[in-house]
Amino acid sequence: MIDMNKKWARFATYAVGLLIGAGMWQYFGARGNQLASASLTETFSRFIRLIENGELPTAVANSMQLYVAGFSAAIIAASALGLLMSRIRFLRVGIENYVMLLYATPMVAVVPFISSLLGPFFMAKFVVVFLFGFFPVLYNTLEGGRSLRPELVEVATSFRSGEMALWRDLLIPYTLPFILTGVRQGAGRALVGVVASEFLVSSSGMGGMIRYYDGNYIIEGVFATVIVLTAIGVLLMWLGRLLEDRFAAWRGLNR
Amino acid sequence: MTAVTQHSSMQEETTLRRILRSAAFAKIIVGIVILLVWQLSMDFFAADYVARPLGIIEALPSVIEHPRFFPAIKNTLGAVCVGLVIALFFGVIVGVLMGRIKVVDRLLIFYVVGFYAMPMVAIVPVLTLWFGSGGTTRMAIILFAGFFSIVLNMSDGARATPPEFIEVARAYRAKPWHVWFGIAIPSAMPYLLAGIRLAAGRALVGAIVAEMIVGVPRSMGNFIRLEAGNLRHDEAFVAVLVLALFGVGIELLLNQSTRIFLPWYRREGRGA
Repeated sequence: MIDMNKKWARFATYAVGLLIGAGMWQYFGARGNQLASASLTETFSRFIRLIENGELPTAVANSMQLYVAGFSAAIIAASALGLLMSRIRFLRVGIENYVMLLYATPMVAVVPFISSLLGPFFMAKFVVVFLFGFFPVLYNTLEGGRSLRPELVEVATSFRSGEMALWRDLLIPYTLPFILTGVRQGAGRALVGVVASEFLVSSSGMGGMIRYYDGNYIIEGVFATVIVLTAIGVLLMWLGRLLEDRFAAWRGLNR
Repeated sequence: MTAVTQHSSMQEETTLRRILRSAAFAKIIVGIVILLVWQLSMDFFAADYVARPLGIIEALPSVIEHPRFFPAIKNTLGAVCVGLVIALFFGVIVGVLMGRIKVVDRLLIFYVVGFYAMPMVAIVPVLTLWFGSGGTTRMAIILFAGFFSIVLNMSDGARATPPEFIEVARAYRAKPWHVWFGIAIPSAMPYLLAGIRLAAGRALVGAIVAEMIVGVPRSMGNFIRLEAGNLRHDEAFVAVLVLALFGVGIELLLNQSTRIFLPWYRREGRGA
């Protein structure tokens, strides 16, 4: 029996897994209908070509611009609003259920409204990405506010802490891990928002590339773009996890 | 006499204060304020066709009588439910094996993480080429959206099975599959519920996007897109409300089942 915990055995199994996948892709991609499939090598050479002629980098930059603009606005707005509501009990209790409702609503359903209101412009896409990212952050910030123990606020106020100091030394540090959970959840959703808006509002960026190559039956172009998009998704997932773990220790231990 | 009236007015005051401080009161007031702000801001600043509360109420009867409305609900939500059940069945099996057998984990982890992180919307156009423009494409997206979140959470949960449980089982000569299905799955239930919650949300989004892009006939995505495109926003919004309620319904169902079936579980990190 081989010891599967040995370093070489671990890498061997990873490699076998990747090779099987690559082999299957190559085999089925090359044998399938050329109008509906593409093999690994075809996709790779198209990928190189798309990078050389600058099409893919431009599209990535375009999509990421939309992503960063929409999602950072969502993070700032949602965490500010969430913190404010955590300080006002009446508001927090009153709005929790409505935020939950919107958190659970599939935001794609409102894309047609936004595109018919704002037209096929950047602003409409910005709003879509914003909405995809906004509610996860707000929902988690409010959860942080709910779990803030009143004793802590009491101690702070009995030491005559002002509102500013209370925010700086208690509210923000306490809620930060919750906000970051929201950021991690929202990061993936906002990326879906980018592609959905590029599909449904107006063609641009990576979503536009996918639609174009799909419409022209150049599947290797679609695959190359989807793989870049997936790499961005994995990167964002990893970044979000890193950020969340970094501040996880700030969560109260006995909740 | 004065003492009595004073006493009763004090009592009234405390009940009034209790009402004012109650959560239900806060929820109702905030709800009314939201609706008012929505209605008034739309009345003053937006075009006539934009959705607003009174318009939605007005549109309600005509939407309910709309011949495509209920079939669309049944069609979309039915597909989501069926897809989730299939994804759950296979996702649990693959997830348990990944969590308990290292080789399986190493063979599959790249694909599971990759497909999980891939924005599923992006592959709708290709799936349309493969499966045609109908329910099959939508089902593929629902499975795709649901399966990988369940696998990831299930394998996390199976990996976190307390080693004492497994030691005891081994001591009684349990077969590996007894450990997988008799111990790993039940002890991973909280992870699995987190996975289902995630999968349900993603599957719903995937289904709607597929319906909008592909134009699946008699579906909610198509209904919303057509009505909104024809500037009948109030009508379209009724469908969005139905979707929101479905989303909340799943959330409540999962919370309730956590409380009833898993009373031993304290809410901590809520899975991936």
